[in-house]
Amino acid sequence: MVEVEVEVEVEAEVEVEVEVGATECVQDAHKKSIVAAGPKTSRIEARSTTQHASRANSAVVISVHHLVKRYGTHLAVDDVSFEVEKGEVVGFLGPNGAGKSTTLRILSGFLGPSTGVVKIAGHDIERDSFEARKSIGYMPEAVPLYPEMRVGEYLAFRAELKNVPRAKRRSFVDDAMEKAAVTDVATTLIGKLSKGYKQRVGLADALVAQPPILILDEPTAGLDPNQIREVRSVIRNLGEDHTVLLSTHILSEVEASCTKVILIAKGKLLAQGKTDDIRAMRRGAGVEITVRGDRELATNTLTEKADATSVSNITASDAAEGVSTLLVSWEKQAESATSIENAIAALVGAGLFVREVKGVGNTLEEVFASLTAEKEKTETETKPDAGTETKTRTRTKKKKEGKT
Amino acid sequence: MRAFWPIFKRELFAFFVTPLAWVLIIAFLVLQGMHFYVLVDHFAGVDVSTDQTPVQAFFGDTILLYLILFLLVPAMTMRLFSEERRSGTIETLMTAPVSAFAVVLAKYLSAVVTYVAMWAPTLLYLLILQRTGAIDWKAAAASYLGVLLVGGGYLSIGLLMSSLTKSQFLALVGTALVILSLFIVGIGEFIAPPDTTLYEICRYVSVWAQMSDFANGLVDTRHLVLDATLIVVPLFVTTRVVDAWRWG
Repeated sequence: MVEVEVEVEVEAEVEVEVEVGATECVQDAHKKSIVAAGPKTSRIEARSTTQHASRANSAVVISVHHLVKRYGTHLAVDDVSFEVEKGEVVGFLGPNGAGKSTTLRILSGFLGPSTGVVKIAGHDIERDSFEARKSIGYMPEAVPLYPEMRVGEYLAFRAELKNVPRAKRRSFVDDAMEKAAVTDVATTLIGKLSKGYKQRVGLADALVAQPPILILDEPTAGLDPNQIREVRSVIRNLGEDHTVLLSTHILSEVEASCTKVILIAKGKLLAQGKTDDIRAMRRGAGVEITVRGDRELATNTLTEKADATSVSNITASDAAEGVSTLLVSWEKQAESATSIENAIAALVGAGLFVREVKGVGNTLEEVFASLTAEKEKTETETKPDAGTETKTRTRTKKKKEGKT
Repeated sequence: MRAFWPIFKRELFAFFVTPLAWVLIIAFLVLQGMHFYVLVDHFAGVDVSTDQTPVQAFFGDTILLYLILFLLVPAMTMRLFSEERRSGTIETLMTAPVSAFAVVLAKYLSAVVTYVAMWAPTLLYLLILQRTGAIDWKAAAASYLGVLLVGGGYLSIGLLMSSLTKSQFLALVGTALVILSLFIVGIGEFIAPPDTTLYEICRYVSVWAQMSDFANGLVDTRHLVLDATLIVVPLFVTTRVVDAWRWG
């Protein structure tokens, strides 16, 4: 009896994993561990993970399964699946033209998916579009507004449109204006506002019905650094009451305001994970260490005692006498944090003076390049199978032709 | 349908805070005023025994009515959807919990209300005429019903055209072309030999014949059916078009 139960549960677990589909490597490892372990342990594992899955499901507010969007022959979104849980601030990160806006437009109900299922707060965006749209505050990329309306009028209109009861409308509008910091322009014509203010009016519009989910498409695009800082702090505060999904092509933006990151490029999902994981990927390039003392001694110390794989001299020409800057990197990215600690200790131990340590971050492009390269690598590894399959197919085709 | 009311209010607001509505209304009233002046001048000089009244001449047996509608209706409807699609506000509008039909109906009725507001001052002409003689109020009521129905059909066509393109200019040209085509088919009434099928069809479609009937106080069900069709079918198609944007 017990044996049968175990089997069923393990099967269910595998199914859940296949559906999620995005963190393939992790899943594979997971499956292997289940397969490798004996029946007893597998039962415990399966139990705990199913429990975890059900707990996770109740908290999932946005779920996207195998989403595809085609424009004619152009594939804008290619089989993207992800989930967003309640209370998360998720960054949807990708270069321009990656399919971010298209995905967000589908989530907001503005566009229909070619195939795939999107659920917002448990409501299917196609079949139950009305309920799904009720739980979303959406801010489109271009922040379109009616220029002939005043800010307060516009927000009152939007509140009424989003079914905010008459009695609460006034307080909801005031609340949204306060949160988005536009109270001081409440009676100004929208057409006369600066870009930064318009952006925040758009944000106030998304907030006005106090929806549980906010979808913001490039909320800081086109703003100056001060305005960007303001909008980011607004978004960070929003994370307390709302689940936020925001898109951006700027890596530092995600690091500044998000707890989770979804990476997308050319319509495909590359990776998803905690912001810290993405930050670790960025750290790859190494660190710049500025030391005072013998440069040769420093180089030797770093390579011999701190296991640095490469040390190159990048001292600026106008550097002070005896001060040199070295670019240091290690082979294993993940260990770089401890490697840096060891390196500093070794340098100080060797009697050198460390003046400055600066992390050299990878740009978003480099992170994408490395991720895309990894993906292509795994694809070519699986290719031989596909090759034999097509060969057998052509062979059978030929046989058939011979027969006729 | 709860979204109808806020959108309807906003559309009227947008119409009347921009110069467009005022320019159109002023142009309309200037043209109608000239029309009325010419009519009054004409009737002041003819024998009283004529069987036509100024009200009949104002609404029926005249090309001026259609000329004015031909010029004004496309300009009234061109922005309804095209502007929102060009500026992108359609995205915020359609991602709110609204149904396509509520949006279409709100926009349509806001245009109809503007149209009625345009015609309302012409009631003064009737009051002026009443000081000089009796007015057939039933014929006048039928005439205004005709004006409302014909205009309603044209506005519906204009709304459909506006939903088909992001360019306000193309929407204007498209609407004008359809209205002109309907008018030209109607003129066939004067060209086709009487008692042929072609004549019957042309007469059925003819706005000219319709307005002449209404001006004489004849409210013919056939006209009502045609007008209802010209109002309902474009509205239905527009709703479908709005739904179809999601797949564009």
